[in-house]
Amino acid sequence: MPPATSAPDAPVAEGDAEAPPVPTYRSLAAPVSNPVDKFALLPAFLKVRGLVKEHIDSFNYFITKGIKNIVRANNRIEARSDPGIYLEYKNIYIGEPSVQVDFRVETITPHFCRLTDRTYSAPVIVDVEYTVGKTHAKHRKPSFTIGYMPIMLRSYACVLNGKDEAELARYGECPLDPGGYFIVKGTEKVILIQEQLSKNRIIIDTDNKGRVTASVTSSTHEVKSKTVICMDKEKIYLHLNQFTKPIPIIVVMKAMGIETDQEVVQMVGRDPRYGDLLYLSIQECATERIYTQQQALQYMDDKVTYAGAGNIKDGRSKLILRDVFVAHVPVNNGNFQPKCIYTAVMLRRMLDAILNSDTFDDKDYVGNKRLELSGQLVSLLFEDLFKTMNTYAVDRMNKNSDMARSSPLDFSQLIMQQDVITSGLERAISTGNWDIKRFKMHRKGVSQVLSRLSYMASLGYMTRITPQFEKTRKTSGPRALQPSQWGMLCPCDTPEGEACGLTKNLALMTHVTTDQEEGPLRNLCFSLGVEDLSLLSGEEIHAPGSFLVMFNGLILGKHRQPQRFANNMRTFRRSGKIGEFVSVFVNEKQHCIHIASDGGRVCRPLIIADKGRSRVKEHHMKELRDGIRSFDDFLRDGLIEYLDVNEENNALIALYEHVDQDGVQRSSITHIEIEPMTILGVVAGLIPYPHHNQSPRNTYQCAMGKQAMGNIAYNQLFRADSLLYLLVYAQRPLLTTKTIELVGYDKLGAGQNATVAVMSYSGYDIEDAIVMNKSSLDRGFGRCIAMKKYTVTSEKYGDGISDRIAKPQRDRDGVLIKQNMRALDEDGFVAPGQIIRNHDIYVNKQTPKVTNRTPGTALTDRDYRDSPAVYKGVDGETTVVDRVMLCSDTNDKLTIKCIIRHTRRPEVGDKFSSRHGQKGVCGTIVQQEDFPFSEKGICPDLIMNPHGFPSRMTIGKMIELLGGKAGVSCGRFHYGSIFGEPSGNADKVEDISHTLVKHGFSYSGKDFLYSGILGHPLQAYVFMGPIYYQKLKHMVLDKMHARASGPRVLLTRQPTEGRSRDGGLRLGEMERDCLIAYGASMLIFERLLLSSDPYQVQVCRKCGLLGYYNYKLKTSFCSMCKNGENMAKMRMPYACKLLFQELQSMNVVPRLTLTEG
Amino acid sequence: MDPQQPEPVSYLCGDCGAENTLKTGDVIQCRECGYRILYKKRTRRIVQYEAR
Repeated sequence: MPPATSAPDAPVAEGDAEAPPVPTYRSLAAPVSNPVDKFALLPAFLKVRGLVKEHIDSFNYFITKGIKNIVRANNRIEARSDPGIYLEYKNIYIGEPSVQVDFRVETITPHFCRLTDRTYSAPVIVDVEYTVGKTHAKHRKPSFTIGYMPIMLRSYACVLNGKDEAELARYGECPLDPGGYFIVKGTEKVILIQEQLSKNRIIIDTDNKGRVTASVTSSTHEVKSKTVICMDKEKIYLHLNQFTKPIPIIVVMKAMGIETDQEVVQMVGRDPRYGDLLYLSIQECATERIYTQQQALQYMDDKVTYAGAGNIKDGRSKLILRDVFVAHVPVNNGNFQPKCIYTAVMLRRMLDAILNSDTFDDKDYVGNKRLELSGQLVSLLFEDLFKTMNTYAVDRMNKNSDMARSSPLDFSQLIMQQDVITSGLERAISTGNWDIKRFKMHRKGVSQVLSRLSYMASLGYMTRITPQFEKTRKTSGPRALQPSQWGMLCPCDTPEGEACGLTKNLALMTHVTTDQEEGPLRNLCFSLGVEDLSLLSGEEIHAPGSFLVMFNGLILGKHRQPQRFANNMRTFRRSGKIGEFVSVFVNEKQHCIHIASDGGRVCRPLIIADKGRSRVKEHHMKELRDGIRSFDDFLRDGLIEYLDVNEENNALIALYEHVDQDGVQRSSITHIEIEPMTILGVVAGLIPYPHHNQSPRNTYQCAMGKQAMGNIAYNQLFRADSLLYLLVYAQRPLLTTKTIELVGYDKLGAGQNATVAVMSYSGYDIEDAIVMNKSSLDRGFGRCIAMKKYTVTSEKYGDGISDRIAKPQRDRDGVLIKQNMRALDEDGFVAPGQIIRNHDIYVNKQTPKVTNRTPGTALTDRDYRDSPAVYKGVDGETTVVDRVMLCSDTNDKLTIKCIIRHTRRPEVGDKFSSRHGQKGVCGTIVQQEDFPFSEKGICPDLIMNPHGFPSRMTIGKMIELLGGKAGVSCGRFHYGSIFGEPSGNADKVEDISHTLVKHGFSYSGKDFLYSGILGHPLQAYVFMGPIYYQKLKHMVLDKMHARASGPRVLLTRQPTEGRSRDGGLRLGEMERDCLIAYGASMLIFERLLLSSDPYQVQVCRKCGLLGYYNYKLKTSFCSMCKNGENMAKMRMPYACKLLFQELQSMNVVPRLTLTEG
Repeated sequence: MDPQQPEPVSYLCGDCGAENTLKTGDVIQCRECGYRILYKKRTRRIVQYEAR
């Protein structure tokens, strides 16, 4: 939707001669006020809100309010036979995270759950009142657990909530970990933010046939429906799933009781152009001879799709109009008037769009989007499960009372009989499949495993937004960068490839709203002079000068002084009388005021300005710095407010306080940005000088920053992830940004500051390859640790029979029988510190041969067979057992987790990248003696080819080098925040050059180097300095693969596929094409017929079918002809023979005709 | 190979650090504090690592 920005003077001023911002006498004479440094607000904001506050807020809302609303709405269940037997939920709340072990309740911590593969869940406790027995004696049972719910970390129900760093450390938790995810069965699961079109709002659009449509997706607690009004051949129809054919809209209006055409036209608007457009529709209705409500309803009854039980169509359409047609508009006591007006408004907006094509809505406009967060998704799931549980209980109660047994008829024993809630929640979150039949919801991949590859990767997961519609569509619209994303969604951070532009990420300061109570707001609107809709006639609604007031998509009424009303509402919000996330949006084009308090809107904080003068003054910032004032105080005092995307259109937001600007121009500014760098998200925020790079490079870095190895969390060495990559000597970047400091990347770095020389060297640096200094590698550059977890479970088979861990078998002299048991201890598994090699046993497990033995007899050694866990590693690499952990899992089975550590130094082929989307592999490793060196004795850690720069235009990388070099010389970390030069959050190249010169370097960052091989000076000065380099997770050791002959697939006898199965390398179709084109026919013959699955068959020349070779008689035989006379031998691929046989099995006879032999 | 006398292998509690000995079939739980994760102690054999 095009913004209806009220910037009246901007275009006008341009036309004027006096408008250009020449300093006038007045502005020069005005007292000079220094712009306030507002940066401190950003850390204050993040301190209050945290990085993933939207997730936690949403879940908190659910467990404190949402869950109670759900239960209140379904609080009573009754037996069908006797309504006197009932159960009533009085209260519901979430307990402390705990598990039940042996009838005891033990509290659990998140880290314990991660280690022992448990679900971090808390009991859902209800207080119930119910009847017992035939007498219906009332009982009350407080604190009754109906199930366990997975708990979001750092939410109110979590043990970590409000804990300080020391306490978190005691819980084994990393203080930098943002929380906001769940732990289900030991794996960390994020419920991704889901993006969808906003509900209950009119969207004017064109459909695929180019027709103008107005559509509303209504969603209330009871029904969800989609209403489409569409203009086809200049006549307007209603499309609704419940009707087989489109219904003329005038018929619908008549069916709702607006019988006169005049009233319809009045409701739409008296502009004659509307009447002209409606004329044909009205005429159509008249030709159908529909004049009364009764006739209209009859007409519609004939077109109802499904008439329901008994096939009675009569009166169905009235019910459909009441319950399905724009379902969110309530019909109270059969009063259809609000619905009629709503339909008229839809029509009016549609006709507006036809008359003036720029009033179409944009589906990709962020203001028309709602983000669904984990709280809402879990709440849907819980509502469904809660209702399911209650229906089960009612069913069982009915069964019990039908049988008329003397059972106690006690509901409280029935609600918890199956753990519907526990298993349902756990299953949905662990698989990510949200299948809720009750709400017609089938979504896959809602939750994903939180990637712990690097700290950035896990943070990036928490801010990710996934789209709802399918990804295959080639349309560019939803993928394109929307201007309304400004400051809300990160413009850089999106994946490449199919999800490009569809998957987005939140920006640094974005907040996603949660639902707010509607009642008080509605009353406030009326108190502020909104005229109630029910008191208005069709004529009055669109009276010129008055605006309709829409509240969460519903029409409340109209207001005669819209601007004053909006200002009043905003004043109330700024003074904290109504919620800070309520948005007030005056839409001049639609003559509407939209008040929104619904959840899922994106919004961000902005400083309020009075006539361009910031309300935040220096003394406020001083109070903030002194710790007297917090971010919330700024909100409460009306200095800062949250604006959502729609309301931003009523604001004129300045980047900086334009002190030097003309008073007239300045006075129209209503808000000032807190800090321009918040336009980027968390992941893009770690790029230095991103505003100097070509834009796609920043996008590439956003993808790569998540693959970089580094420190994952403070508790990384106590975690038990199945695969963990760590950098041995991770550093913080020399050239930082403010975002890096805010998110804690400087504490959990994922890279090292390498001295880079930009020059060509040895030819092993073409195509982005990097030449590395061997001594740097010896000193620890790029050294990493790969930790893998191997889990062995001792299975139980019942009757006390289970797997056992045996001590290593030795012969009489105490020498091990098997060499691969050398790593084992006497308890049958390895100990930490032990070196473990390929094929070594790490747990000497034994499995009983028979599981159904007569009970009582003890199993002897002979009844067990070896089933050891054998370590599969790379030959020649030394890997060490890091930790061995014993615990019992949820089924009380003994689990042994061995964490095996492998320290790797970089080798040729390992992937590295700087922070500017410049990835490259290590091309060669050269002795330091052969490396170039400077007069100061500085020798680079790696050499990068200058060809990487011209086409990629990553100027940011060059400035990073300069800034880093100045940083190491003067001993101060330099900054490179985006757009940070004016505010001092990024160092300017000029200043950096001064620093360089001061410390004896060239201003340009170039150094005079000597050749390491010949010792003579290099012909050119070389651009050299430190650049932060990331080691990416793609390492040669995990990928290299070669095979000669090896394992084959049983069915086809062809080589297996894939590295993990030691598979063969496929000569595919394209390779085949090459060889054919080249004419190397014998090579193809060898590859296809001999090297894969050669096989000798006996072919009958007569019948052409395959025979067999009788080894006893040493003759071949055709089983079809029943003789062995015409047999010939031939070689063919086994797969070919298999194909013939499979064809035969399907009654297709393939016959071979042999030309020779 | 070093002749190992069958001394019982002991395990450290993940919470309080107390030493526990385990027999087959025992519940995995610290005797001191009741924590349910035990870690094996570092090997007492002599190991020689390569520091490249």
